[in-house]
Amino acid sequence: MRVSNVTVRKRLTISLLVGFLIFFIIDVRLGYVQFALGNILTDGAKDLWSRNIPFEPERGEIVDRNGVALATNKSAPTVYVVPRQVKDPAKTAEQLAAVLNFSKEKAYQYITKSASIVRINEGRKITHEKANEVRDLNLAGVYIGEDSKRHYPFGNYLSHVLGFTGSDNQGLTGLEAYYDKDLMGEEGSVKFYANAKGQRMNDMADDYEAPVDGLDLKLTIDSKVQTIVERELDNAQAQYNPDGMIAIAMDPNTGEILAMSSRPGFDPAQFQEVNPEVYNRNLPVWSTYEPGSTFKVITLAAALEEGKVDLENDHFHDSGSVKVGGATLRCWKRGGHGSQTYLEVVQNSCNPGFVQLGESLGKDTLFKYIKDFGFGQKTGIDLQGEGKGILFNLDRVGPVELATTAFGQGVSVTPIQQVAAISAAINGGTLYTPYIAKELVDPRTGEVVMKKSPVAKRKVISEETSEKIRYALESVVAQGSGGRAFVEGYRVGGKTGTAQKVKDGRYMENNHIVSFIGFAPADDPQLVVYVAVDNPKGTTQFGGVVSAPIVGSIMGDSLRALGVEPRKGQLEKEYKWPDVPMIEVPDVVGMTKTELGDLFVNLKIETSGEGNVVVKQTPEAGVKLKEGSTIRLYFDNVEQKEDKKEEE
Amino acid sequence: MPTKKATPDLILLIVTFTLLATGLIMVYSASAIWADYKFDDSFYFAKRQMLFAGVGIVAMFFIMNVDYWTWRTFAKMIIIICFVLLVLVLIPGIGNVRNGSRSWIGVGAFSIQPSEFMKLAMIAFLAKFLSENQKKITSFRKGLMPSLGIVFLAFGMIMLQPDLGTGTVMVGTSVVMIFIAGARIGHFVGLGMLGVIGFVGLVISAPYRIKRITSFLDPWEDPLGSGFQIIQSLYAIGPGGLFGLGLGQSRQKFFYLPEPQTDFIFAILAEELGFIGGSFVLLLFALLLWRGIRIALGAPDLYGSFLAVGIVAMVAIQVMINVGVVTGLMPVTGITLPFLSYGGSSLTLMLMAIGVLLNVSKHSKL
Repeated sequence: MRVSNVTVRKRLTISLLVGFLIFFIIDVRLGYVQFALGNILTDGAKDLWSRNIPFEPERGEIVDRNGVALATNKSAPTVYVVPRQVKDPAKTAEQLAAVLNFSKEKAYQYITKSASIVRINEGRKITHEKANEVRDLNLAGVYIGEDSKRHYPFGNYLSHVLGFTGSDNQGLTGLEAYYDKDLMGEEGSVKFYANAKGQRMNDMADDYEAPVDGLDLKLTIDSKVQTIVERELDNAQAQYNPDGMIAIAMDPNTGEILAMSSRPGFDPAQFQEVNPEVYNRNLPVWSTYEPGSTFKVITLAAALEEGKVDLENDHFHDSGSVKVGGATLRCWKRGGHGSQTYLEVVQNSCNPGFVQLGESLGKDTLFKYIKDFGFGQKTGIDLQGEGKGILFNLDRVGPVELATTAFGQGVSVTPIQQVAAISAAINGGTLYTPYIAKELVDPRTGEVVMKKSPVAKRKVISEETSEKIRYALESVVAQGSGGRAFVEGYRVGGKTGTAQKVKDGRYMENNHIVSFIGFAPADDPQLVVYVAVDNPKGTTQFGGVVSAPIVGSIMGDSLRALGVEPRKGQLEKEYKWPDVPMIEVPDVVGMTKTELGDLFVNLKIETSGEGNVVVKQTPEAGVKLKEGSTIRLYFDNVEQKEDKKEEE
Repeated sequence: MPTKKATPDLILLIVTFTLLATGLIMVYSASAIWADYKFDDSFYFAKRQMLFAGVGIVAMFFIMNVDYWTWRTFAKMIIIICFVLLVLVLIPGIGNVRNGSRSWIGVGAFSIQPSEFMKLAMIAFLAKFLSENQKKITSFRKGLMPSLGIVFLAFGMIMLQPDLGTGTVMVGTSVVMIFIAGARIGHFVGLGMLGVIGFVGLVISAPYRIKRITSFLDPWEDPLGSGFQIIQSLYAIGPGGLFGLGLGQSRQKFFYLPEPQTDFIFAILAEELGFIGGSFVLLLFALLLWRGIRIALGAPDLYGSFLAVGIVAMVAIQVMINVGVVTGLMPVTGITLPFLSYGGSSLTLMLMAIGVLLNVSKHSKL
C-alpha cells in the first residue's frame, strides 16, 4: 500500500466497483438473451437451420351414396433436386434431360438454382417406369418424391359434376372446386437440419409434421342410376346426334340428386382436349331456355290449388287456335283437339286449354306460383355456375305474355329449376333445395364431419292438389302424349316439352329442345327424371318422341336398381300406333321343340344347348316384353340322361 | 528504489492461464468446422493459436522479469516509433488492407498491427507522463490538454485506417488512467457535454448516422446487412440456455456465424457452455480486474500504479465491448475477446501486457 495519494486510491476503488457493475450488467444481459429470449431465438435459429421438404396431404376421395369411388388418387412420382448435393451439374442435367425429354439448358437451370430443394416441373407426376429410369441413373442430389395424382376411375362419367383438379391437385371446376377446401387437407413437412451450406446435420433429429389428409366427400349420387343415365345418353347420342343433352335424376322427397349428366361430355384426365366451354358449363344447372310444355305442370298446379278447374268435369273446346289481345296463338295440333275434359287437355298438352287456365288465374296469381315453385331464382344447389333464368317483369305482363307463359313460352328456366319445381308439384307440395354433397367424412376416423339434410324451402301446394297432379300426369303417360315413357308396373307420370330455340331474338326453324320430365311411382314418387335433347337429328322433334322413351328406360332400370317394388293398380296403357304392345312371356320349361312351334308368333327365339327339351328360359315366365323381342331357351336331352341312369 | 519481491501475483497467473486454456479449447471447437472446410484440417486454427500462446507465454515470463521502470525509460521512444508505424501503415504498399481496414504491416504470419502496439505504448507513455505531472492534472491546460491531446492524435491516426475498435479501447483506457490520476470531474463533465454536442451536431447534419449506430438495437431491421452478425450471434447464444448444448455441439459454427473463432467466439462459448460457461468467463475477467486494481493499489509508486491500471483497464474495456457487442448491447466494432479470440497479434500482446502487470505485482504490496 505504497501509493498514498488519496484521490488515486479512491478513484482506483471506484473504478473497480464500476468495472464490477458493468460486468454484472453484461452477465444479466447474457442471462436475458439466454433465458428470456431463449425460446424465440431457438425457434428463429431452428427456422434458420431447417430445410422443409413438403409432404402433400392425400386429397379426399369423392364417393357416391353407397361408397363407390368416383374420384380417387393415384401415386405419381415426381423428381426433386437438392442443388447443393449435386456433384456434377452438367452431367446430371444432361442425363436428367434425356430421360425426362426436355432441354439440357433448362435442366441445368433447375440443378443450379440457389434453393434448398427444387421440383423439376418436367418431372412431375411421371409414370413409374420413368421414375425407375431416373432412379437407375443414380444421380447424387436427385430424388424421387411421391406425389399423388387425381384419378377418375369412370372417365367421362359424371365429369361435369365432379370437375377436375389442376397440377397442384387444386380443384378447378365442379365439386372439386366447390368443395376444394374440404377435400384439400393440410400440407405436412419433414424438417431436416442443415448447415449454412445446405448439407444435412446428422446429429439433429428430423421434425416430422404429418400432413392432414382431406375429407372424403360422399355424394347423393347413386352410381347405379348414374350409370343408367350415362348409358341412355350415349345411346341417344348415337341415335340422334343432338347438339347437346341434359339429364337429371332426383329424389323428389329430399332434393338429393341421384344422377346428373350432359353432353357433350369430356374426360377429366384429358380435359385439355375439349373446348373450355364444355367443362366450364355444367348444363343441367347452367343452361337456361324456354321449357315448353313441361312448364304447363306449374299452370296446372296453380289452377288446381286455386280451385279454378275440375279435371274430370270441366270441359274445353279446342278449335286449334285462340285469340288473345289481338294475337292468334295456335295449338301444336292443327285443327285442334276438339272438345275435351281438362284431364284430356293435360294429356294432349293442348295450348289453348292452358291459355284458358292462365287467364282464369290472372297474372298475379300465376306468377306468384311460378315464383313459389322456385323459378326466376337459383335453386341453391351446391354446384358452381348455376343459372337463374328469366321471367317477365310483372308490370309488362299483358294478356299475350300471360297466355304464352301459361304454356311455357316466353320464360327462361334452368333444368334443375324444373326438376325441383316438378318434384314439389308431385311430392305433396314441398319445394326442396336440390343438393349433391351428402357428407364429409374424415378418412382416418370415419367420423362424419358434415352431414347435409334435406332443406324444405316452402310448401307450395296442398297434398290434395299434388295427388291430382300425379294422377293427371300418370294419365299423360298412360293415355296421352307421354306414352313412350311408360314402364310396366311402375306407374310413371310425366310431361313432354318441346321448345323452339331462340337465336338473336327470333325463334329458330326446325331446331327444338325436346324434353320430358317424369316421375314414378305415381302413388308414392321415389324418382324424378328429366331429359332434354337439343336439336335431335333425323326424327320428329317432339319431346314425346325423343325424350320420353329415354326417361322411360332410365326410370324403369333405375327404380329396379333402387329396389322400388312394382305397383299394382296402374293406369293401363292405351296403345296407339306405333306403340308396340307388351306380351307376357309364357312358361315353356319342359316343352319340346315341336310343342314350341305352335306357341310363339311374335317373339324371336334364340336357342342353345343340344337336345329336345327346354330346361331353362330367360326372361322368366310372367315378364312382359315388347312384340318382336328375343327370348333365350336352353335345351338338353332329358330322356337320354334318364336312360343312362336306368342302365346304371 | 522499490524493494524487490520474488513472487508475482499467483491469482493473476492462475486466472490468466485458465482464460488461456478456455480460449484454446474454444478456438478449436469454434473453428474446427470452418478449418476443415477451408483447409481440410480441423486443427488449422487451434494449432496456430497454440503456437501463438506458446510464444506469448514465453514473452510474458520474459517481460515479467523485466523491471517495469525500464518501460518508463523507453516510453517516449516507443511511442514515437508507434507513431511512425501508424503513418507508415497508411501508405499503400507498406500497409495491407484486411477486412476493409489498412491496419497491417508485414508479410503473412509476420504481420503486425501498429494500432495494437499503440494501445500498449500509450499506456506506458501516459503512466510516465501522468506520474510525473500528477499535480498538474487538475489543470485543464497544463495537465489534461497535453495528455488528451496525444491520445486523440493517436486516435485520429488509427481512425484513418480505420480501426474503430482498437481506437475506442485506447481512448477508453486513457480516459480511465487520466481519471485515476485525479483529473477534475468537472472537466470530464465538460468534455462529455462537448462530446454530446458534437455528436448531436453530426447526427443533425446527417441523420442516417443515428440509424447506423442504433441498428444494433433491432438487428432484424436489416437481417442480411448490418444486423447479420448480431442475429447470427444471438441465434447462437439464445439456444444455449443454462448449461449450453455441450462442448462441440454448436450449430451456429456450421457456417452460419462467420469466422466464429475470432470476434464472436463468446457467442459459440455461450451456445456450447450456456449461461454457466459465459458467466464463468466473465467472472474470470472480473477476478483479473480485481487483481489488477489490487496490484495498482499496492504498487510502490504512481508510475507502477498507473501502468497496472492502464493494462487492466485495457483488458476490461475490451472484454466489455466484445461481450457487449456479442450479446447485442452495442453496435459491432470489431474487437477481440482477450485470451479467447483467435489471433496472434492480439494474444501475444495481451500476454506481454500481463507480463508487465505481473512484474508490477512482484514489487507490489498485496
